[in-house]
Amino acid sequence: MTRAVPKHRQPVVVGIHALPYSKDMRMTERRSGALAILGALADAGLTPTDVDGLVRYGWEKTTEMEMTRNLGVPNLRVFGDVDFGGGAGPVVLGHACEAIELDHADVVVAWRARNRSSGGRPWAGQLLAEGQDQFERPQGLIRPSDGMALHARYWMHRYGWKSEDFGLVAVTQREHAHRNPMALMQQPMTIDDYLAARMISDPLRLFDCCLETDGALAMVVTSAARAADLDVAPVYVTGYAMGSGPDPYGMTFFYGDELGVTPAKYVAPELWRNAGLSPADIDVCQFYDAFTPQIPICFQEFGFCAEGDAPAYMRSGDAPLYNTSGGGLSEAYVHGFNILVEGVRQIRGTSTTQVDGARHCLATGGNVVPTGALVFSKEPW
Amino acid sequence: MTASASEAPFPLPVADADTQPFWDATVQRRLVAQHCAACGKWIWQPKPVCPRCHALDVPWEEVHGDGTVASWTVIRPPVLPAFQPSVPFVIMLVALDDAPGVRMVGQLVDEQGALLVTDGVAEGLAMGASLGLRWREQGEVILPAWQLVPPADAPRS
Repeated sequence: MTRAVPKHRQPVVVGIHALPYSKDMRMTERRSGALAILGALADAGLTPTDVDGLVRYGWEKTTEMEMTRNLGVPNLRVFGDVDFGGGAGPVVLGHACEAIELDHADVVVAWRARNRSSGGRPWAGQLLAEGQDQFERPQGLIRPSDGMALHARYWMHRYGWKSEDFGLVAVTQREHAHRNPMALMQQPMTIDDYLAARMISDPLRLFDCCLETDGALAMVVTSAARAADLDVAPVYVTGYAMGSGPDPYGMTFFYGDELGVTPAKYVAPELWRNAGLSPADIDVCQFYDAFTPQIPICFQEFGFCAEGDAPAYMRSGDAPLYNTSGGGLSEAYVHGFNILVEGVRQIRGTSTTQVDGARHCLATGGNVVPTGALVFSKEPW
Repeated sequence: MTASASEAPFPLPVADADTQPFWDATVQRRLVAQHCAACGKWIWQPKPVCPRCHALDVPWEEVHGDGTVASWTVIRPPVLPAFQPSVPFVIMLVALDDAPGVRMVGQLVDEQGALLVTDGVAEGLAMGASLGLRWREQGEVILPAWQLVPPADAPRS
């Protein structure tokens, strides 16, 4: 395909880093974020003096301004944050890619540091319900799992999906986690274990829900020209996209005309157009997984299978492996940033559940909020 | 079995100028939603202008509020302390009969509007089941809630 961006400005991931995950990291998110960024820069053979762009999740407590002064970054030519919780990951990376392509910056770092375990549950303290929340929280619709449960029930009704279909996701990702020394959940789990666990928000059981983790990760994006000077295996960003869909809400995306659709359905065509690829080109997927139902709905909304057919497709052997680190369900939940970092590992060939010869990896953000997706690739445009 | 009162604070709706008419109506136990006079679109949640035809003033209109179950979940621990005495309880996505396209969130209650401590099984909760509007007091707030009713003689509130 013809591209407006010259090949030497193709965005390339040259550094990744994850601090060890835990239930209590015993440091501030300011410090863990700084350590993650320093680690990712060291991975790339770069230092903070090379950085001229910082992008972050809107929910990241440490701003670009504070991180700039804490790390001694000389000057930011590009900065910005993206709201909407776990939808932000691929979107901040998309903005990093735009900056690289447009030659507005040379080294852009994205990070996520979150003490989501030791810092408590965000929903537990939100007693003043403003905006969309005023019609939800007083009714008891408070936790992210509650919003997802209303989607999941509807998808089960519409498509005939069963609890075992969601359990397949939980069990599969636990198997992946078992091979990953960094993963917090190492115990084997059977479908019977899954079904025996207590309900949280019917039809969602305990193991349909992601972990609650302290974690910090970072990723360094530069241009193909700059990457050529670095002693790292480049991971090319072949395409990226973001999308809101119509009438979007955070987690409760069910007031609009099309009940059952998520913003990912609007991201998908933009992604494939921007990447010049199709689902058939994808060797491995990293789907944002705060909850198991997000995996089948993503498989069908990104066009891997027909609407409603995702569970059969996932059992068919035709589906690419997904969430190979164990994901948010069994490795760690760091607002989906560990999903993105695992995507880079698959292209580097360093995953603990490596897909042999993986050339293209799809990585997505939380799909029931405005969200995004990227394709990491072995080869340049 | 209905829930007992709790000392812990419930989440409080914080109204603003765009949503105040909804909360004012709830005090009178009237359910209202925006209904665009220009293009006929029912709008939920409240919006400052009509998102379809961009009419600048979108009037509020009372609805009878009966509807059907578009989806539901059962809330179980861990929950806010205020809701702890009430678990398990049912939250539904309610498609309103006389405001096409409007789906509101509300709890499953009894005839008097008291929150039911239930997983909905005994009440016969199901997708598409008929619901009658009730009103539930939660501290100083009056919230719309819904009771499962027979489809043939769904009572008007």
